[in-house]
This record gives sequence, structure tokens and C-alpha cells, in this order.
Amino acid sequence: MKVLTARHAAGVLAVLALAVAASVIVGLAAGPSSLSVREVVSALLAPETQGAAADIVLRVRLPRVVLSLLVGASLAVAGVLFQALLRNPLADPFVLGVSGGAALGGIAVLSLGPAVGLSHAAVAPAAFAGALATTLLLGLVSGSRASPTSLLLTGVVFNAFASAGIVFLASFAGLNEGAGVFLWLIGSLSNVRADVTGWVALFLFAGLACALPLARNLNLMTLGEETAQQLGVDVVRVQRVLLVAASLMVGAAVSVAGLVGFVGLIIPHLLRLLIGPDHRLLVPSAALAGGAFLLLCDTAARSLLGGRELPVGALTSLAGGPVFLWLLRRHQQRIFAP
Amino acid sequence: MPLRSLAAVLLLALAALPAASEVPARRVVSLNPSLTATLVALGAGAQLVGVDDYSARQQSAVRELPAVGGLFNPSLEAILGLAPDLVVLVPSAQQRDLRARLEALGVEVLELPNITLAELLASIQALGARVGREAAARERVREIQSAWRAVGAASAARPRVRAVLVLQRDPLYVVGRGSFIDSMLATAGAENPANVFAEPYPRVSLEWLIAAAPELILDASEDPEEPRDYWARWPSLPAVATGSVHRIPASQVTLPGPFPERALALLAEAIHPAPARSDP
Repeated sequence: MKVLTARHAAGVLAVLALAVAASVIVGLAAGPSSLSVREVVSALLAPETQGAAADIVLRVRLPRVVLSLLVGASLAVAGVLFQALLRNPLADPFVLGVSGGAALGGIAVLSLGPAVGLSHAAVAPAAFAGALATTLLLGLVSGSRASPTSLLLTGVVFNAFASAGIVFLASFAGLNEGAGVFLWLIGSLSNVRADVTGWVALFLFAGLACALPLARNLNLMTLGEETAQQLGVDVVRVQRVLLVAASLMVGAAVSVAGLVGFVGLIIPHLLRLLIGPDHRLLVPSAALAGGAFLLLCDTAARSLLGGRELPVGALTSLAGGPVFLWLLRRHQQRIFAP
Repeated sequence: MPLRSLAAVLLLALAALPAASEVPARRVVSLNPSLTATLVALGAGAQLVGVDDYSARQQSAVRELPAVGGLFNPSLEAILGLAPDLVVLVPSAQQRDLRARLEALGVEVLELPNITLAELLASIQALGARVGREAAARERVREIQSAWRAVGAASAARPRVRAVLVLQRDPLYVVGRGSFIDSMLATAGAENPANVFAEPYPRVSLEWLIAAAPELILDASEDPEEPRDYWARWPSLPAVATGSVHRIPASQVTLPGPFPERALALLAEAIHPAPARSDP
């Protein structure tokens, strides 16, 4: 492993921060309606102005830009953590079924909640609970020394179970909820509510606050749990803290955006190729790059078809599927070796 | 029981086939609430022997009838068990297979699209003809057409109002081009900016709606939040500025049925409120 210098780290983070800034500009400037750059800028500079341009820039595009940054960052950081904790290059909240568990929890409340007096506000907590329960289940079923294969299999099976549960619940719900359920399954950022944005931000920053101080321990844990233990890492504690943190980040992201696939897979791997595997740099980089990636995907999703919307999850999964297969092929020997 | 009744169904169906279109159907299964409502309105409710779950839930006239499943998952076995001589449905991807299987078993299926106004009127007439209620169907269609002419004539002299009819807020669906609702909007004096979309019920982006600057928002979503409060988030909307945001009861307006002129009257009142009630 290359030695990480503060200068190198600062350089990488600065470049990624510039990428985030550039994608924010693209996200604010692009959209189905043809606003000029001047209109966009004047809406941003004078937020109290009235008019369609102000509504579009400040009350349609800006909340989505912020939310896609937060959701993308949460998913990418969770991906880094799952890959490190499970020592599995193919781990990703989506592949492992954690997103599916969150969606199942959220949709259970969406479809059955009204009957038992639960309001829309209960969707997010239910998604957290679903994500956390899935992580615990993954740990229980595969044990602490699970082979990568058995973890992936558990994820595949749980995903199938969650999808079936979601479709089962959706059958109870009326037609209107049906379209909403479909968007949850594919992942979309079209519904932005200011209150949920705050929750996603809270869990992202809490997750980062847990992960950053433990990043050095994560580096050691990639050498193997026993080695890490011998080097003085409290492996069980690090695992517990970070699995819970990752689950909460995924739960928050899924509760607002649904099953946005593969962000937690593509971004960490691209970054490992570009900047190396040191988690002290990888974790913050994943937050920046994941946010920028999802923001650009979402901008494309809401701009490509004119006034029509494309769910952003369709784009990320279209991009992520081939990347996953490529990774699987690259790592095949290692994964299926005895 | 299944084998014998299946055989009975097959025999019945075979016997009925040659004269299918001449003898009025006596045992009808409706797989769509709008067709169910039309049959009841034409006075053929007694000929119904089974309906889909939605019809059963929505319409008191058929609540006692056996339900044969939802719009997307009707049960072939439950339908056959009712020994129908006619099954009526609205074309959809889900029901295409069902139609093929019913026809393979010799059950007559009448597929009646109901997106456009012309289709809606044609479905009333086709249903009437098939259940022996031709005169009632003709009368119904005539009344609808005359209501359309009257409302169209009344609104012709008034300024057109730029209006968007929202079917659902999240995801955002509106009435686009070509549906009977689009026709109602045009007849009642509205200009629908969403008819730039070729689909009858397109999913659009919020940004498009704000850029379209509707003077009137008709919100038929079932979201509990008051439409005024919800749309006030985007104050540049002309409809918000003038307080022209109204909730429209979905069950009375957006579901195609035998009485579209009632929905038309409701929309006309929302688009050009009667003078007595138009004070701010």
C-alpha cells in the first residue's frame, strides 16, 4: 500500500470537491425548461424574487441537487464500509439486500400504515428498521467468518424475498400507491421533502463521523480479522459500529429515494482504481464522488426526456449492471477459490 | 365439481357460439369498474353474475356479487366458475392473456377500450347492444352528446383558461392528450398545456408544470394534504397566486363511466365559476 501523505489526500479531495461543484452547476443549470444561465444565476443571487425561474431553480432543482448529493454520498460510503467490513469486493447495499430490506420496511408502512393509523412520517423509521434488520440477518445467517460467496447468496435470496414482499404488499395497496411502489423499486428522486432531506444529511454526517476515525482500523481489517486483532483493533466493536452506521445511511437514503442501485458498487471501485485502497482517503472521497455521480445521473434523468421524468435508479442500474459483471469476472478467481 | 362444471361451461359456450352476437348475454362478468357502472346504468345490472374487486368495492349495486379478482390479477378459475356467456374487459397488457385463455375455452370476450371520448361512447353502445339494452344505450349516448354540445356552446364565448388536471402528485401524473378527460377540459373551456404530450396520462416533471404556468390547477390526487397548501410551495404558479387551485373528486371525474356529462359539468364550474360563486 502506498503511504498516504496529507498533501496527496488534500489534492485528491480538492479535485473531487471541484467535481462536486461542477456537477452542482450542471444540476442547477440543466433541466427540461429552457432557462438561460443568466436567469439561473439571478434566481440564486436574489432568493426572494418571485417568478417561474425562481421556483424552478430554488424550489425544484436546488432541493433535488442537495438530496441527490446526500443520497449518492450515503450509498457510496455505505458501499465502502460494507466492502471493507465483509471483505467482499462485490458488497453493496443493493446487492446485499440491505436496500431491499429498507424498501420492504418503507413499503410495509406505505401500504399497511394507513390501516393501523401510521402516517407517512413513519416511512423513514420503517426503512431504517428494515435496513438494520437485514444487516443483522446477514450477520446471523453468514456468521462472522462467512465466505464471500455465502454472503452474496444470502443477499440474492434476501433481495428476492424483499421484492416478493414488496409486490405482495403492493397488491393490498390501491392503484395510486401502485405507481409509487414501482418508483420505490426502481429508485427516484422526484419527491423531495425538506424534512426528509434533513434526516438523510443527519445520518450521512453521523455515519461519516463514525467511519472516519475508524478508517485506519478498516485498513488493518482488510488484512484479515485475526491479523487486525493482533495489531490491536477491537474488531467486533468496529464491525458493530460501522455496520449499524452503514445500515442507517442506507435506510435514510432508501426511505427518500427508493432502490437506487449500484452507486455503492461503482463509486468505491472506481475510486480504488484511481486513488488506492486507503480508507482514510477512500471514505471521504466516496462521499464526494458518490454525491456527484448521483447528481449527474439525476440531472440526466430529469432532463433527457423533455418534460417527462425518468427514474434515476434506471440510469444508475443500467450503468451499474455491466460494472458489476466486469468486477465479478475480475474477482472470480479470488471469490470462488477455496 | 370442477370437471363437471367445466364441461358444462364448455358445452354452454359451444352452444352459444354460433348465435353469440344475436342473443343478449344473460350471464355477464365485468372486469372493469367503468364497464360495471355502464351495465348498471343501462339497466342490465341483473345480468351481471360477477365483477372485479374494484367494482365490488366501489359500487353498491354490485356489492353482493361474487368478485373474481383485481384489475391486474383476475382469477380465470373464479370467472369460469360463474359460467358466464360474456366477459367484458378493458384492454390492458395484464388482461390480454386472460382474453386469449377465455376465448380458447369458448367464453365470449368483449374488449372495450375507454381512453378517448369516442371509445367511451362506443363502449356504451357496444355493451347496450350485447346485453339487449340498445335503446337505453342510444339514449345515454344522445344525452352525453347533447350535454357536450351545450357545455361547449356555453364556454365558447368565454376566455380559455390554461388548466392542468393533476391525477397524482408523487409521482406527478397529469392529463395529457386524447383522453376523454382532455376532451372534457377542452369542451369546458380550458386549454390543456399537457396536450403537448402524446400519451393520455403522462408522467411529467414538476419543472415542466411550473414552466407551463397554469392559471388553474385541478387536483384529483387522493393525497390528504390540501391542494392549496401543497401547490403553494411554488408561488410563481399563476393558479396559486390567484387562488385557483381546486380539489376534484377523482371518483367522479377521472374514472370513465356512463355519466361523463356530470364530470363535464363539474369541470365547467371549476373552469368558469358561476357568477354568484366567483367572488374571491
